[in-house]
Amino acid sequence: MTDKRPEMGITERELNALTRDLDDLHQTTFPGVRGMLDEFSANLAGLARGAAKNRRGFLLGVGGATTLGLVAACSSSDKGASTTSTTAAASTAAGATYEGDLKVVALAAALENLAVTAYTGALDAAGKGTLGTVPPAVGVFVQTAMKQHKDHSDAWNGVLSKAGKPTITDAPLSITADQVKALGEAKSVPDVAKLALGLEQAAAETYTFATANVGDAGGIMTAATIQPVETMHAAILHFILGEYPVPDSFIGVEKAVKPDVLLAK
Amino acid sequence: MHHPIDERGLRELLVESDDLQSDAMRSAKRDLGDYVDAALEARSESRDPGGQWPGWGRAGLAVGLAGAGTLLAASPAFADTALDVQALQTAASLENLAVATYKTALTLPFIGGADANGVVKAFATKTMAQHTEHAQAFNGAVQKLGGKVQNDPNAKYAAVVQQAVPTIKGAGDVVALAISLEDVAAQTYTKNVGQVSTAELRQLFASVAGVESQHKAILLAVKALLDGGAPQLIALPPDAAKLPDAAGSVGFPDAFFPTDKASPVEEGAVK
Repeated sequence: MTDKRPEMGITERELNALTRDLDDLHQTTFPGVRGMLDEFSANLAGLARGAAKNRRGFLLGVGGATTLGLVAACSSSDKGASTTSTTAAASTAAGATYEGDLKVVALAAALENLAVTAYTGALDAAGKGTLGTVPPAVGVFVQTAMKQHKDHSDAWNGVLSKAGKPTITDAPLSITADQVKALGEAKSVPDVAKLALGLEQAAAETYTFATANVGDAGGIMTAATIQPVETMHAAILHFILGEYPVPDSFIGVEKAVKPDVLLAK
Repeated sequence: MHHPIDERGLRELLVESDDLQSDAMRSAKRDLGDYVDAALEARSESRDPGGQWPGWGRAGLAVGLAGAGTLLAASPAFADTALDVQALQTAASLENLAVATYKTALTLPFIGGADANGVVKAFATKTMAQHTEHAQAFNGAVQKLGGKVQNDPNAKYAAVVQQAVPTIKGAGDVVALAISLEDVAAQTYTKNVGQVSTAELRQLFASVAGVESQHKAILLAVKALLDGGAPQLIALPPDAAKLPDAAGSVGFPDAFFPTDKASPVEEGAVK
């Protein structure tokens, strides 16, 4: 590739080499994540088979693994109510394909697929000229972020597959139609960047929430190692939009996507 | 040096950012309070074998306030207040070091002085303030749990900074040092998520890890532009058309955030 911008002190070839080095680093990191996911899968598979406890004794049994969103609050002074709610939640979840931690895994896979869909749509729109002139750096951002979201989706689907559950290959979420519609109406790079920023923030906050609400140690750490990547995507998108890139001192959970948004049952 | 920056616009962005941050801070403080209550409750109930699993009630309430369901609290066997205090103290030590490093950096002409890029200076200032808030949050939790607050910088990395300072010749060197510190902090907190004993503390560490990783992302992008001799492209808004292609990906090198550089839980604990 030739240097497109001679005023730059660093060539694109050098920057691309740097990117390749970073990609190598990612490939080095990935086996560790795979090991974590394998253990998570084994734990969930054991749960799916009705095992009372997982191999590390960390994951709670089905009775304790209540479905998210079904119990809003359990006060410490009302332990009886807490127990009742837990039982009700387990009963409500009976017969569902995805329940407990697996529902969070399915939600995560769907969210990642939605991000891939959005970035794919952005690339398609860019190719058709709908978004006007797309800066090359923005194109590289979209391609790289899309690949990472695909990696995340593959990871979560690997867990579902090993747990004997159907994988989530699209985005069965009640929010998907609106997101796709908004993407279709985008007329510029900032329009798409704002849409992507919303998805990245939602994903990051969902994973932040998941760290406190997933029961399995492997699942917790998988969410914990993906969340910073989504926040990094968000920071770069803020920058592209001309906004201050790190606006908050703490990542919140107000924008977290709730499991009941998942349409796959 | 040319600084194509709208200073007024940047100040307005920072004001907006501060408003958003204040909301997030209130939420974080509420979560911290819930965490402390849950941990204290856990310590109390661990003396009562007949008691319910620690953290369940308060943590469930906290999650309910956040707008969604229940959580899976750690059993008494996993509740370890001493380890939690150590993790918080180590986190505070990393934050204290970050604050001190940015403070020193802002005294340098090419970071906080007349030769500084306006965006880099604003970023260093805001980031230092965010690290101050993180330190206060971690130490606040330590104090409420009956531990000793950690006011010192992390000794291991303070030595690294001390060794690096005489070699600093420009903004790129400072940014490289800052990347190292942000990376260690982010990796430490990411790993802490899997080490601490309650849901609230897991969420707190994840919440801060996400912010440190954002600092790292922006610093990586800034460093690439500085190293490339294009500081004029470090601007808000950026001239995106002139950014090198690979600048779009240099800020987030890993699909899964690593933890191999994480500090051990006890590294910054108060002796």
